[in-house]
Amino acid sequence: MGASRSRSGSRRGVTRRDFLKRAGWAAGMTALVGGAGRGRAVAQAGASYPDWIPASTKPAKRGGVLTRASAWDPPVIDPRLTQSVGLFQFVGLTSNRLCRYGFSDENAGPGDMTLRGDLAESWQSDPAYRVWTFKLRQGVKWHNVAPLNGRELTSVDVKYCYEAYAKEGVQTFAFQEIEGMETPDKHTLRVHLKAPNTLFPQNVAEFISVIFPREILEEDGDLKKRLVGTGPYMLKEHTRKVRIVLQRNPDYWDKGRPYIDEYVILSTPDDATRKAAFRTSQADFIWVPSPSEAELLRKTNPNAIVQSFHNTLAPFGLALAQDKPPYSDVRVRRAISMAIDRQKQVDTVFEGHGIPGWGVPYIYYQDKAPTLKELGAWWQYRPDEAKKLMAEAGQGKGFETTLFYYEYFPQMTSQVQLVQADLKKNLNIDIKIQKLDYTTYYGRYVEGKWDGMSWGFQSGHAIGLDERTYQYMHSKSPKNFFRVNDPVIDELTTKLRRTPDRTEQRAITKKIVDREFDQVLRMWMPYDNGFMVFQPYMRNVAAAALRRTDGYGSPTLARAWMDK
Amino acid sequence: MQKYVIRRLLLAVPVLLLSSVIVFSLMRVMPGDALIALMGESGNVGQKELAKLRKDLGLDRPYYEQYLLWLWQMVSLNPGDSIFTNEPIPVSLRKAIPVTVELATLAMLIGLAIAVPVGVLSATRQDKPSDYIGRVVAVSGLSIPDFWLGTLVITFAAIWVHWIPPIGYVSIFESPWRNLQQFLLPAAVLGFRLSAATMRMTRSTVLETLREDYVRTAWAKGLAGRIVVYKHALKNALIPVVTIIGGQLGVLLAGTVVVEQIFALPGMGRLTVEAILYRDYPVVQTNVMLVATTLVTLNLLVDLTYAWLDPRIRYQ
Repeated sequence: MGASRSRSGSRRGVTRRDFLKRAGWAAGMTALVGGAGRGRAVAQAGASYPDWIPASTKPAKRGGVLTRASAWDPPVIDPRLTQSVGLFQFVGLTSNRLCRYGFSDENAGPGDMTLRGDLAESWQSDPAYRVWTFKLRQGVKWHNVAPLNGRELTSVDVKYCYEAYAKEGVQTFAFQEIEGMETPDKHTLRVHLKAPNTLFPQNVAEFISVIFPREILEEDGDLKKRLVGTGPYMLKEHTRKVRIVLQRNPDYWDKGRPYIDEYVILSTPDDATRKAAFRTSQADFIWVPSPSEAELLRKTNPNAIVQSFHNTLAPFGLALAQDKPPYSDVRVRRAISMAIDRQKQVDTVFEGHGIPGWGVPYIYYQDKAPTLKELGAWWQYRPDEAKKLMAEAGQGKGFETTLFYYEYFPQMTSQVQLVQADLKKNLNIDIKIQKLDYTTYYGRYVEGKWDGMSWGFQSGHAIGLDERTYQYMHSKSPKNFFRVNDPVIDELTTKLRRTPDRTEQRAITKKIVDREFDQVLRMWMPYDNGFMVFQPYMRNVAAAALRRTDGYGSPTLARAWMDK
Repeated sequence: MQKYVIRRLLLAVPVLLLSSVIVFSLMRVMPGDALIALMGESGNVGQKELAKLRKDLGLDRPYYEQYLLWLWQMVSLNPGDSIFTNEPIPVSLRKAIPVTVELATLAMLIGLAIAVPVGVLSATRQDKPSDYIGRVVAVSGLSIPDFWLGTLVITFAAIWVHWIPPIGYVSIFESPWRNLQQFLLPAAVLGFRLSAATMRMTRSTVLETLREDYVRTAWAKGLAGRIVVYKHALKNALIPVVTIIGGQLGVLLAGTVVVEQIFALPGMGRLTVEAILYRDYPVVQTNVMLVATTLVTLNLLVDLTYAWLDPRIRYQ
């Protein structure tokens, strides 16, 4: 009966062969659209992309309009109130900082973290590293628009700005370490710190520490309506959810620069549309998360230049409520870490191109990226040892817990599910996953009163060693989201701030990292920074470590030019 | 008729009040608030500072006070400012509404342009290949979600013809040609979906009407097929279709949310989605109320049109 029904059905309808054929077509189309089809071959091709594009040796050409389709919109244009990449994808071009890191045409490679002067020409500290004196560049003018009308920038401006940052907004913690400031003359700023900090110049080089004019804050009461700076570009138009247009500042102090006349950022929330914009040359560069997606773009744009964005750290990890049992027991943390197969995540979720995960940028303590083996015993996948540790900790039967997260990128959900499966299989930890929207996730996570687990993060904007160590790990820091409370870490991070010698800094940083790994204070998860894809005529646009050209690292576009 | 209109208008008041209570409550039930979203990824904002900001924005008041204040603002047509951007809400709406209205209108036109002729063709050629094709198109329209179709269209347009609508909205008054390029594809995506239900309804009502006695009489009189179908049958067949179109307006507005996102159009959909994500209470509440009012009004208009099209219908 069944057989005859099957036969008659196959004659009039769709045969199994037809069905499979059509399903294959459908899957193929979906893969093409969704960027799937992540085979080994593709992953290997992706892995071969260079992580650095050297500066062009040709003389730069002036002119042109640079366009990018952007996923981000600035929530507000007041740098005191947000650290959102939506704002800092362009504020680094309208405004300057006292110090900066090298642009892509100045660096020899992605890991070059040499600090350079931006508005400051030079800086030095007293022997105790509590007083820092910055000599400002002369002849720097604010944009020639009301109410500044191109007046000269002075040290009083910088003092006012830092005081405003310390007073309110999201940067209060960083600037409240300032005890007082003096302006002996209009080009000298003397900063007195509450405690010694040899890394202070790094803090004023952070992308978010831009100098804004006092006139606007005084006239408007905030900086939400007007954005004026001293940078290479002036804000010509900001239409929410449509576009941001930056126009070349003809009076920029770095004469002859920038090279490009206009930079247009088009608000494009949909990923497929951003890729379509690149394919049709409506966008000059784009970021994609995986090797297979870079390959797919190269199928339609074979001359596109692909750069693998240098991996220096993992911004995400499994955060545990480690101030409470069972996670306060280091054996439980170690067991959980050993029960997670990180290599599997790298191989599958990140197509073999990711890193196993660590939190402090490795370039601050060693020359080469650590291998999984170098991360230490607790970071290896050893489920049997993990089980023993759990039993020793009195948790041999496992337990139930929750894990909340926000999907920053699609691969994250796969990672969360892999961790859930690993912990269930190896330690009988039953995880109930809660996927939240951004505001709910963020509010709950930073409030720090949650129990169980969270897919935690460290801020994406920070470059400096001080931010990545003291500010994210010291028990008294409000940015210590992972709830690290370890006296050794407190001592080491404080000592680091008092150590001027670079070699010693590296040694102390290594000790901090070793301690973090040994105590499993932050359980980092695999990550991949993805790929920058540029149109073939783009020059001097390479993304350096921790500085993505389309995001916080946008200031490097001051040196970009278009060879066409 | 006049009494009916007045009664419908009065009935709209509790509907809108209930909508206002629902949207207000839902927004307050959702965890997190605009200030947390605004401070995003900083984490170093003190609780004191957040409390001060909440007080400044009136978010620390009891819920009933916040509700009454908002209700008064709505009645006095002054919905206030966005918490997130500080922009007055009427200004945001003035920018967003024309985009959505243009998109919805074009989509509706495209939808009707597909639905009615295909529906009629399907009905007049029942069980012929053209009927099957029409029905397949209709079922596809019903089954393919907007987000998938929109993504496919934009991706394959880029790959095959190396063209997509120019990104970066331009008003029709600024550049009509560029504006048309920006709206044609998204409107087609939305219109295709809209056309499905309308086409099916057109087909079935035309089929039904063609079997009426008066149509048979028209055929018997020797009238040309076109005249029988378009002059005699179609007008009556369209009465239920009008009702369907009225019901589709909600679908249309919901569709704009997705399509505006894909095609980067700064309309009401994107404004509302962003406001929900950032817990921008005043913006969400105002937008939802605006949509609710629009739907109530449009439904009333549809009912009145129904009466106009069919003189047998009289409201008591």
